[in-house]
Amino acid sequence: MTRKGRRLTLIASMLAVLGVAAGLVLFAMRDSIVFFYGPSELAEKALSPGTRLRIGGLVKDGSVVRGENKSISFVITDSNKEVRVAYVGQVPDLFREGQGVVAEGVLVGPGQFRADSVLAKHDEKYMPREVADALKKQGVWNDGAPAPAASK
Amino acid sequence: MITEIGHYALVLALALAMVQSTAPLWGVWRGDVALMATARPVAVAQFLLIALSFAALTHAYLISDFSLLNVVENSHSAKPLIYKISGVWGNHEGSMLLWVLILALFGALVALGSRAMPVDLAAATLAVQAWVGAAFLFFILLTSNPFLRLAQPPIEGRDLNPILQDLGLAIHPPLLYLGYVGFSITFSFAAAALICGRIDASWARFVRPWTLLAWIFLTLGIAMGSYWAYYTLGWGGFWFWDPVENASLMPWLAGTALLHTAAVMEKRDALKIWTIFLAILAFSLSLLGTFLVRSGVLTSVHAFANDPARGVFILAILVFFIGGSLALFAWRASRLRQGGIFAPVSREGALVLNNLLLTTCCATVFVGTLYPLALESMTGEKISVGAPFFNLTFGPLFVPIMLVMPLGQMLAWKRGDLLGAAQRLMVALAVGFAVALIFGALRGGPVLSIVGVAIAAYLVVGSFVEVYGRIAARGVTLGGAISRAMGLPRSAWGTAFAHAGIGVTLFGLAATGWGVELVQTIKPGDQIALGPYQLVVGDIVKRPGSNFDATVAPMEVRSGGVVVATVNPAKRFYPARQMPTTEAGIATLGLGQVYVSLSQQNPDGSLDANLYWKPFVTLIWIGTLLMALGGGLSLSDRRLRIGVARRARTPAAQPAE
Amino acid sequence: MIWIVFATMTGAAVLAFLWPLAAKRNAASRLEIETNLYHAELGDIDRDVKRGLMTEADAQAAKAEAARRLLAATAVEPAQAGPRGVKFASLAVILIVPILTVGLYLRLGAPDYADMPLQARLQAQPANMDMAAALARIEGHLAQEPDDARGWEIMAQVYTRLERPGDAAKAYRNLIRLQGASPDLLMALGQSLVFADQGRVNEEALAAFQKALAAQPSRLEPRFYLALAAEQQGDKTTALEGYAKLLADAPADAPFVPMVRERIAKLGGEAPAAAAPAAPSPGAAIAAMPPAERETMIRGMVEGLAARLAANGGSLEEWSRLVRAYTVLREPEKARLALGEARRALGANAPAMAALEALANELGLGG
Repeated sequence: MTRKGRRLTLIASMLAVLGVAAGLVLFAMRDSIVFFYGPSELAEKALSPGTRLRIGGLVKDGSVVRGENKSISFVITDSNKEVRVAYVGQVPDLFREGQGVVAEGVLVGPGQFRADSVLAKHDEKYMPREVADALKKQGVWNDGAPAPAASK
Repeated sequence: MITEIGHYALVLALALAMVQSTAPLWGVWRGDVALMATARPVAVAQFLLIALSFAALTHAYLISDFSLLNVVENSHSAKPLIYKISGVWGNHEGSMLLWVLILALFGALVALGSRAMPVDLAAATLAVQAWVGAAFLFFILLTSNPFLRLAQPPIEGRDLNPILQDLGLAIHPPLLYLGYVGFSITFSFAAAALICGRIDASWARFVRPWTLLAWIFLTLGIAMGSYWAYYTLGWGGFWFWDPVENASLMPWLAGTALLHTAAVMEKRDALKIWTIFLAILAFSLSLLGTFLVRSGVLTSVHAFANDPARGVFILAILVFFIGGSLALFAWRASRLRQGGIFAPVSREGALVLNNLLLTTCCATVFVGTLYPLALESMTGEKISVGAPFFNLTFGPLFVPIMLVMPLGQMLAWKRGDLLGAAQRLMVALAVGFAVALIFGALRGGPVLSIVGVAIAAYLVVGSFVEVYGRIAARGVTLGGAISRAMGLPRSAWGTAFAHAGIGVTLFGLAATGWGVELVQTIKPGDQIALGPYQLVVGDIVKRPGSNFDATVAPMEVRSGGVVVATVNPAKRFYPARQMPTTEAGIATLGLGQVYVSLSQQNPDGSLDANLYWKPFVTLIWIGTLLMALGGGLSLSDRRLRIGVARRARTPAAQPAE
Repeated sequence: MIWIVFATMTGAAVLAFLWPLAAKRNAASRLEIETNLYHAELGDIDRDVKRGLMTEADAQAAKAEAARRLLAATAVEPAQAGPRGVKFASLAVILIVPILTVGLYLRLGAPDYADMPLQARLQAQPANMDMAAALARIEGHLAQEPDDARGWEIMAQVYTRLERPGDAAKAYRNLIRLQGASPDLLMALGQSLVFADQGRVNEEALAAFQKALAAQPSRLEPRFYLALAAEQQGDKTTALEGYAKLLADAPADAPFVPMVRERIAKLGGEAPAAAAPAAPSPGAAIAAMPPAERETMIRGMVEGLAARLAANGGSLEEWSRLVRAYTVLREPEKARLALGEARRALGANAPAMAALEALANELGLGG
């Protein structure tokens, strides 16, 4: 094969691989990317039920209700709007009322959310970054408070 | 006094690094051999100073010297000895000190092992290494100084984050850093080659052992980190596509590609531009990882720092080195001459394909990791890119790598015989199909798992076909075969083991599809069927530890009524940080594991537990050990050591194999 | 002293730079290095041919490529430069390294700070040791020897006084581990836990109270907490039943009686208004109540005591308690009145009179 032919083969295979990769990335982006909202943003957006989301905020004091078979329900608040979250499964070690939490799952109705995973804050210094941001927007968070440094 | 000596040593190391980054380069520019020669002893001295500094900090942790802010924030007098030591690098400042320590260590190793290298190349390499070192020493001293003192020392420290108080943590960061930072040396070699204008097969020979060394450590570091996450985080996962994990995976992918092109460059003087580019890329990705982890732009296990000044500083370092090296690359790469010629179907061609796929994999991980950050900074929308994205993109790209891998091993340099190679691989294909049939018939379950184990079996067998063909020709006796096996170059064995290791890991991953998972409330006396085993719950007891209280639920694992193991899952509570942790109870049975973690205690005294049976799960890490072993075998090949040998004797002493 | 060390270090560092400038060079020449590499390459090619990784014809071509590379690489040998650059560089390093290091260090470092090992600091001056240091010392000791029951006993009391009920609970847990679960320890553990959990009877506390009651069925306090736990879990019937029985069994002067009354009142008062069950009363032990509520409750108890003493008389101890209680409630007038009544009631008892005098002096109620 000539040098030119070799180069063409190389470039063609390169383009083929990159094309496949780009296709995969775009396909995966459409299906497996999840948006993050705080309760207020969620109220503004008026998304249709069935949308996959992550929502975050504080667990409202006194809102946790434990039911049969590890089902649990609680309210996520940013002190402005609220979302009631239903979840079946075990909540993390540090899930507590008044603490930051992120839930991922599906919107089932206005202000109603069904989570399939729940993440809680990890120590007194840490708050999920999205939660801290969402709370800052609502003016609940003050920067004097422990910074959202992380550590799992 | 020891603390202050350590602090002074760190400042002195910075001064030396600045000397090391200028004088030898000036020597290269002037052609002054004397100035070039200063790089070696200065590199060693710089390492010794940083080592002294690190020892001083460790000493402060050991004696619980709470006049150091860093010790106060991350230690506690009642902490066990081992965690006092690992606490040194369990925080931002200390881990950055470890980072530069390893950077200087590689510099010193090159200085000591480079007698057989051209002096200008060695000098330029060490100078570039010192540039990186100086930048990070500045970073430490100005924004993350672990030696800051307190006039009024408190009486007790705030303790290390309990989740980090673990043996895995004692080993994981040093290993990972050895790999991560190890690529600094290949980067320095690449920059030096561009500066000196000597980019040829001999350069590749000098670089290959260092690439291999860094790759081995990175492989082990990633594996260790994943095992650590598996048994401490308590939900049985071992890889989360967490940005920080991705940050270590990207240099690994680029490093793996580099390892393979460096072989082509060394043997065939081809793919030179590409090799240099990969060397720059691998370390750039390491730097990017450091930036992502240290700047706190990501929320993750490892992000200790949240000081914007730090983030900006590291970003500046990142831009300087990546931008600078790429500019150098653009300026000098045009000088490269075309090297050896090869046909598309050849060992070189297969390695090009490997590179293409590996770097594409790397690019998808890059996109998935950075896209959310980019999107947020541009539109303010927050998204999360999770495991599904990576499984969808990374998986399909990695499968062809694994299919082609044994084929590439079989092809000859320059021009290969594809048909012949494929014929010799029929055995491996047959084994793959057989395994698929056996597992499909016996276990059923997800198709993906069956396909996975089939590819894994094909890969393991295929990796050894080439070696087997060398050993067992027709009519060779057992003794003859053994002596032939010993006679094979170690690097051939290395390749076989490393490739087989990927197959073994894949087997473990595929077998997760046959796992059993139960979420259930347990109380003493309960009998639970879990996969092939029965678990019997014992009395739930409270056991105080040295700096925590634990609630333990011991369980017997029985097989056919016989007790084969016990597990002790526990919940711990660390009063110093008011923080609970989960300690999984794990029993290894054959290649699988029974894994139990507790989540919470109910008012009636029973516990909620997650129980898993994970068949073949240990293969995931055994595979990585095999990869590292393969790397080690290649590294021990005499042929490869030429770059680090003292002074090669007369030409006659060269092996005439 | 420390500066001598620093000077030595700096000197050694500069020497590392100067040494190769003075030493004779014995580095391999480029020709030598490249030739060695060339031979190694030839060896590799032969080996690959033997392994079947390269054909004989390709090997010849590869060897030719290697030879061409050798020729290209050895074309230029770097020239030796004159000594002027070396002199300049040496001088620069001798000057810059110490100045830079000392300058930066003085900005960052604390050269007159000694090392401060915790051990040495704790042993230094036990007499002047503040409370925190003493605590740290005992805590350290207990971490080393977790089986020292006496130590845990002291710590349990200290923690309770310092209002660190969580730590107190830990100490009691250890005491129970070492000395066995006596009802007293179980009660102390349970109460610490309730206090630590803001008045909530959690599962561990509940277990402790249950065990205490089982060990000593005649004990009354555990029953109060068990009823409280039932109340907190929303089981109003059991709670009311528990409170009522407790009231029936308790002597009228038991300290918790007013509290029990209050709880019954609360539950009973709410019973008809079943409309608002979602907001369970915050229910709590005295310690966990809001200050105002707590004071009302204490006041109720004190009034009860005063009434009983006025009607039936009482011992020196009971009178003293009443006087003290009034003082605590910042009601010196009532305290004086109570003191006077006590004097009248105990007038015949000389030692008791003396004790009352002492009490009056202590509380500043003299005269």
